[in-house]
Formats: sequence, C-alpha cells, structure tokens
Amino acid sequence: MITVASLTRAQLGERLAGPGIHLRTGRFTTLLRSPIGGVADGIHLLYGDYPLHEGFADFHLDLVRPATLRRWLRPQVSLLYDGRSMFKPLPLDQAFPMFEWGLNWCVSSRANRYLIVHAAVVEKGGRAAILPAPPGSGKSTLCAALVGRGGWRLLSDELTLLRLDDGMLHPLPRPISLKNASIGVIRDYVPGSVMSRAVTDTVKGTVAHVRAPADSVARAVETALPAWVVFPRFEAGAAITAEPMPRAETFMQLAQNCFNYSLLGAEGFTALVGLVERSQGYRFRYGVLDEALAFFDSLPAVS
Amino acid sequence: MALSWRLVPGQALLHRGWDGAFVLYNDLSGDTHLLSEDAMTLLLALRDGDVMPEELAAPELTELLATLRQLDLVEPC
Repeated sequence: MITVASLTRAQLGERLAGPGIHLRTGRFTTLLRSPIGGVADGIHLLYGDYPLHEGFADFHLDLVRPATLRRWLRPQVSLLYDGRSMFKPLPLDQAFPMFEWGLNWCVSSRANRYLIVHAAVVEKGGRAAILPAPPGSGKSTLCAALVGRGGWRLLSDELTLLRLDDGMLHPLPRPISLKNASIGVIRDYVPGSVMSRAVTDTVKGTVAHVRAPADSVARAVETALPAWVVFPRFEAGAAITAEPMPRAETFMQLAQNCFNYSLLGAEGFTALVGLVERSQGYRFRYGVLDEALAFFDSLPAVS
Repeated sequence: MALSWRLVPGQALLHRGWDGAFVLYNDLSGDTHLLSEDAMTLLLALRDGDVMPEELAAPELTELLATLRQLDLVEPC
C-alpha cells in the first residue's frame, strides 16, 4: 500500500500542485490539489500514514489563491468543491485548517448513507463512547487525551458516522482539531503528540491539529458498537461529575447534534433509537484530564 | 371547543418510549417531539378509535389537545 509518507515533502508538493493526490481517509477518497505550501506541509506532517489511491474520488477539493488584487496585499485562499467556490476566502495562512474544515463539510453534507452526529467518538474493547458537544465544551481536548494517553482508538474527533443498516459506528480517523488554550494543554499532557503549527486569528481563534495515532488510521475499516454517549463540559478545576441521563433526553440531545437527522427523516429516527437503546447517556463535567480518563475506563458495560 | 378530534392524516406515529417518556417522529413536519406518557396514550387511542368524543371533551384534556394541535399531530373534526 502506498501512503503519503512514501513521498518526500518535495514530491508531495509537486503532486499536489500538479495532478493532485487521492487521499484515503476511512471510506472516503478525496482528490486534493493545491499549489499552496501550507497545505503540503500539513498533509506531509499529519497524513503520512494514510493510503494514496488512484481512480474514483468521493470529493474533489482544490485550495487555490484567488486571482484578485488582494493577493498582493493580504493573500487569501479559496476552497473549491468540484471546481466551484463554496465558501468565503480566508487568509492564506489558514489554508491547511481550511482543508480540514472543507473535508468535514464534504462528509457532513454528502455522506447521507450514515446518520452523522457532530461528536467525537473513541473505542476500546470494541465498544465506543460518543462525545457530542458544542464548541468550547472540551470535546476535542478530551478526545485527544483519550487517544493520546488513555489507550482509546480514535474513530473521529468531529464526525460520528452511524451506519443506517446495522447501527455500527464507522471510523473516520483524521487529525484532531484543537483550539486556543487546548493546544498547550495537549502539548503538555501528550508530550509525544505531533501537532501542526498553530494558526492564529481564525473564526475559531487559534487552531492546531494533532496527528491521529497510526494504529487508529490502520484500523480505519474496523467498526465499533456504540455503548456510551457522554456529553462533556470542561470547567477548570471542577470536581468530576457523571450524571446518567434518561434515554429520551439522550435521544433529543443527540438529534440536536446531528447534521442530517432531518434529511434522513424516519430512517434517521429509527437509527437514533437503535443507538440510544444500545447506549447509556451521561452528563459529564470534568476539570482534570487524569480524572476524566479514569472515568472513561470505569464506564460500565451496557446490557 | 371542537366536538371531536382526530390524528392529522398521514401521521404514522413512529415512536419509542423509555421510562414514561416518549420520542415521536412527526411524518408531516419532520420534527421529533418529546412527549409524556399521557400524550402518547391519547395519540394511540385516537389512532385506534379507542376514545369517545365525550371523553375528548373533558376539561382535563383541553390543554393537552391544544398542545398536540400546535405540534400538528391532531386536528379537530
């Protein structure tokens, strides 16, 4: 299998600037093209373990510098989906984060054979914990700690993919997106983590991405059974609390965190019922990562 | 006050309940509602023709029927 790591940084840059690469992430293949050095740097640093394919691609993405007068003053980057610009250009420095956000958008708006929850999902022993949460709740920090030090496998930091036919969770392991203070927290807590350069002044503040563990990437076709739905909330210094949630409330909160629940209609309802019946929900507050990891290792099996 | 009530035609009442709380998919609006056991029981009774008009006219049901009407689940007939 040919991986991104089989290319030198220079070769990767040439390929991206020319025919592009067919980057395989989970079950999705993206034909990515870009002459922008920051994109090649990010792919080279964080996607070394990912396979390169030829042929069909689910998504066609180009990251380019728009040919406007602004390129001389404040250079920008545009994301093209199928050759069309779908988003406002961003400062050129944000090219790699824009790729990550753009690929999230592709999956969340196109992969409707899954019910897609805006949530991190990690697995241990074949059982998965889903962590839905709004921005700022500490979801990605917790996810990075669980896979970096807690021995959990990363299925996804951002997009939980629930298969409609059998209720299994399908992995989409990609870099974990950290924001603001979380960047330093994880740099200290997971010393061996590989992290992209922090990019400042994005709509999300300062962002950096952490490379997914190689084992999680290698097991990207291995599904997991949902077992827990944990709604995390970080509060600095707070004592840990984990309050079991009624199933109906777990259902409603999960539905609110889905990208395509309404689109899928009754099929989405039925899939979410199955997920909730296989899982125990918790309202979870944490202030110390060591305590949070201990809680996850104490999660009882769901009958 | 309406003389009687019925389910809005087209509602399949796809639902699931746990511990006295129910989630229901509204086929017409695409919304999902969190309902009490009383509300779900009333909807199922309407579907099954298991409730008499005079029972529906009971003052105790006025507020519940109004709520279900707002959710486009029932309508007067």
